[in-house]
Amino acid sequence: METVNKRNFSIIAHVDHGKTTLSDRLLEHTNTVAQRVLEAQHLDSMDLERERGITIKSHPVTLVYPAKDGKTYQLNLADTPGHVDFSYEVSRSLAACEGALLLIDAAQGVEAQTVANAHLAEEQGLTIIPVINKIDLPSANLELCLQQLEDLLAIPAEDAILASGKTGIGIEDILEAVVTRIPPPRWSDYQATRCLVFDSVYDAYRGAIAFVRVFSGSIKPKDQVLMMSDHTRAEVKEVGVFTPAQKKVDSLEAGDVGYLVCNIKNPADIKVGDTITQNANPAEEMLPGYKEVRPMVFSGIYPVETNDFEKLKSSMGKLQLNDAAFSFQAESSVALGFGFRCGFLGLLHMEIIQERIRREYGVDIISTYPSVVYKVRKQNGDEIEVDNPINLPDPSHIETIFEPTIVAHIHVPNDCVGDILALVMEKRGSCERTDTLDGTRLILECILPLNEILVDFNDRLKSITRGYGSMEYELGEYRPAKLVKMDILVNGEPVDAFSSIVHAEKAHTKGGELCTKLADIIPPHLFKIAVQAAIGGKIVARDNVRTMRKDVTAKCYGGDISRKRKLLDKQKEGKRKMKNIGNVSIPPDAFIKVLKND
Amino acid sequence: MSKSKPKQASSEQETPLGLYLHVPFCSTSCDFCGFYQIQSDRKGILSYIDGVKRELELVDAGNRKLDTMFWGGGTPGLLPAADMLKVGAAITDELGMPSQEWTVEMAPSSVKRDKLEALKEAGVTRISMGIQSLNERLLDALGRQHSLKQIHKAYDLIREVGFHSVNVDLIFAIPTQTEEEWRADVRGALALEPDHLSTYCLTFEEDTALFIKLQQGKVSIDPDREARFYTAMWEEAQRGGFEQYEISNYARPGHACLHNVNTWKMAQWIGVGPSASSQWAGTRHTNTPDLKDWLAGLERGERGLVDRVVLNDGLLLEDSLIFGLRMNEGVDLAQLGQRFGRDLTQIALFDQLVEEGQAERVGPSLRLTPKGRMVADAVGEALLGSFG
Ligand SMILES: Nc1nc2c(ncn2[C@@H]2O[C@H](COP(=O)(O)OP(=O)(O)O)[C@@H](O)[C@H]2O)c(=O)[nH]1
Ligand code: SF4
Ligand SMILES: [Mg+2]
Repeated sequence: METVNKRNFSIIAHVDHGKTTLSDRLLEHTNTVAQRVLEAQHLDSMDLERERGITIKSHPVTLVYPAKDGKTYQLNLADTPGHVDFSYEVSRSLAACEGALLLIDAAQGVEAQTVANAHLAEEQGLTIIPVINKIDLPSANLELCLQQLEDLLAIPAEDAILASGKTGIGIEDILEAVVTRIPPPRWSDYQATRCLVFDSVYDAYRGAIAFVRVFSGSIKPKDQVLMMSDHTRAEVKEVGVFTPAQKKVDSLEAGDVGYLVCNIKNPADIKVGDTITQNANPAEEMLPGYKEVRPMVFSGIYPVETNDFEKLKSSMGKLQLNDAAFSFQAESSVALGFGFRCGFLGLLHMEIIQERIRREYGVDIISTYPSVVYKVRKQNGDEIEVDNPINLPDPSHIETIFEPTIVAHIHVPNDCVGDILALVMEKRGSCERTDTLDGTRLILECILPLNEILVDFNDRLKSITRGYGSMEYELGEYRPAKLVKMDILVNGEPVDAFSSIVHAEKAHTKGGELCTKLADIIPPHLFKIAVQAAIGGKIVARDNVRTMRKDVTAKCYGGDISRKRKLLDKQKEGKRKMKNIGNVSIPPDAFIKVLKND
Repeated sequence: MSKSKPKQASSEQETPLGLYLHVPFCSTSCDFCGFYQIQSDRKGILSYIDGVKRELELVDAGNRKLDTMFWGGGTPGLLPAADMLKVGAAITDELGMPSQEWTVEMAPSSVKRDKLEALKEAGVTRISMGIQSLNERLLDALGRQHSLKQIHKAYDLIREVGFHSVNVDLIFAIPTQTEEEWRADVRGALALEPDHLSTYCLTFEEDTALFIKLQQGKVSIDPDREARFYTAMWEEAQRGGFEQYEISNYARPGHACLHNVNTWKMAQWIGVGPSASSQWAGTRHTNTPDLKDWLAGLERGERGLVDRVVLNDGLLLEDSLIFGLRMNEGVDLAQLGQRFGRDLTQIALFDQLVEEGQAERVGPSLRLTPKGRMVADAVGEALLGSFG
């Protein structure tokens, strides 16, 4: 197909504004996926995505659309995640496009992530097609949405398409707009082949697979290619497109989105953001890559079974290929043995990665209490970075600890502003600016310590605002804070994996909360077990794990001793799946559960 | 198994010998039942009686005589009187009359005068009757095997014929049962003036109708509620002058079930009939839980092929502790130490149990307190694998 008849676009929006559902309609309308096999939320192909009802990865797919102008177009679409933790995923998809559909839930209006994603698209110079979605909802407020579009995003209201991913209204209009408003592939007449690697996965049979957008030239099997970032050479084995399943084709041309498999063994040799060119006629300049992402949250991940260490290591290597924002490095813990210090973009990201390691690679893991990266200026003038509480120097050696902050934009309904400001205060934050959003809402610009918003800030925001509040943030400056290391002792033994760095004034409350939660998460034991929080060796809080109230079965006669022993053994087996620290069985998910509110 | 002289470990030489007969027939199947049981028909019963005889031939007790015998099931009382006599004679001819105790389980619906008289005549000393509940609604919930009227009629008949010891079984923590209803059941049962009372907390055995309901979420398990029912039971038994001697068992003085006590003390017993377990001739083993397979095995001269474990002192010691601690008298550590040649005076787990108020030491004995009894499985689990 001619390059001018190709269009590349992403669907972006705030979480739950209907991106994946609208994608279903586009697939359906273009007969890309036959109706009978189209499952709802078709592009959310990972089990984890389906279970949680959220999109974690960007999903590319190619549609063929006969437009009203009589020509047939090839549309390369990418559905993207909406959660702030995955905005890196969104920006990578955008770099492979010329346009973006910006969805706005007609009943919710513009939310924080709508603004943030619109800015990402603008920064990359993309054409934005605004779509007011879910107009079938009785609570839809079109007028307000159109107004917000002009006021908040400076997008003319008349550009907006009214649609519903549920009923299919507006789908044709959207497809036409994609064809007419989004420009044909850019940089297609560059004199050499350039493909942007925007994602990759590891396949057990074919090895590392790169997802590429071809900007210029073409690529086909047997081509000798060059990875421009480190000059690795490789031979192309297979190329294909997404239907959304991978389908082999003869070659990929300028403007196409597809995948390529090379004879590359080491997953690490394929880098997301890299430019692939032909070895015979290499490009001079790389395509604009991506800003390198810096993980914001760190936590240790350890195998439950110590001899799964190597397996965990190779799993992480493969997973990293599919998630460039995730980093890992070997470390060890007194309580947990050998494992890895891992970096994530946020807590949801951390949870998703852990779950993927468990499911996709079948390794049972435990993770430690998460931490942000602190900067510590020591008495002797040295400055170090600490991403693991156990590495915090002795207080007598510390001059100042600096903690990372974020600049948050919080959208709040007017009547909740007081409560949200109180929440910001509670989290040691400050409000720097307020702007009116529309007649009913404000935008608060706040500076907050990153470690305070990790755990429950978003949940509290949602509950205070009955779901109408939203937030988007970026990393701010480091600032000095009175921080201390809090240790957790289980049955008198310190469990380093639970150590955390907390603000001195909050230590008691935090310690109390943590002890109570842990005491609750650890299943009842036969004997009394204390969970204590300590700062500098001084106990600041304690709670007890429940002792078992009842664990006895009635029948035990007829002489079947073996059967009874089997039952006891089964019971014991359940505990072997836990991590035994001292003689306390701690469930592997305890470490993540302590972070959750219920 | 071929006939061979039983080889005995030093520690089991002088322990009492029991015989457990499993009679697999029931009139219908109860929702909660996890035992091997089938509907009876004449052909099945005849083949079963044949099988019992064959199995007894395969078991060589040397000149050992029985101390106790227990017929359980299933519903042994479902067998016609003449058949019970045949089976009884087959056993006593081979192994002698049990010198201490002979129990037969009966269901209220199958208690008949002629059967009772035949059993009494044959030498049965103890009748155990599963009445389950004295509450019509709960009897219904359990699948209604009998009515309240049948219970009273059967009980009176048993007393009239006259046995040394009579036990009734109750089930508790039945879905929808209240604590008051449970107390009423216990009082009602005690009002019958039995010699022995067994009360079983409803358990959800795999593959039962009840277990399926549990999986479907139609019923649920609430350990706290079960604990309250246990405590209620203890209070009511004490009030009624009954002494608890094991987790689920209460008796008037001198009426504890010796057969069961002997198994919990890791004596020896021979299990006859499909699914019956033995601890005998140096091994522990169980018969296949299927009438046809059991018969086919006997044809080939084989029995007790399931869960075969060779006994050793460590295993027997461990089980003496696990099962012994379920009894109120607890375990005599000095005696067990001697029997199995181990020093049991310094076991950290025991000290910890005492420290936490879950056990107490009385002379050389260690026994669980009511608090400890409530977590007897956890104690057993902690002991598992520590000696065996
Ligand atoms: N009423 C209505 N509901 C919709 C529409 N589109 C999506 N939804 C619902 O909104 C929720 C979020 O949809 P989803 O496509 O997963 O949103 P995403 O997070 O942006 O991908 C789901 O419960 C959908 O069923 C629509 O057009 N109308
Ligand atoms: S009568 Fe006893 S053995 Fe028979 S089905 Fe009912 S509970 Fe099971
Ligand atoms: Mg989605």
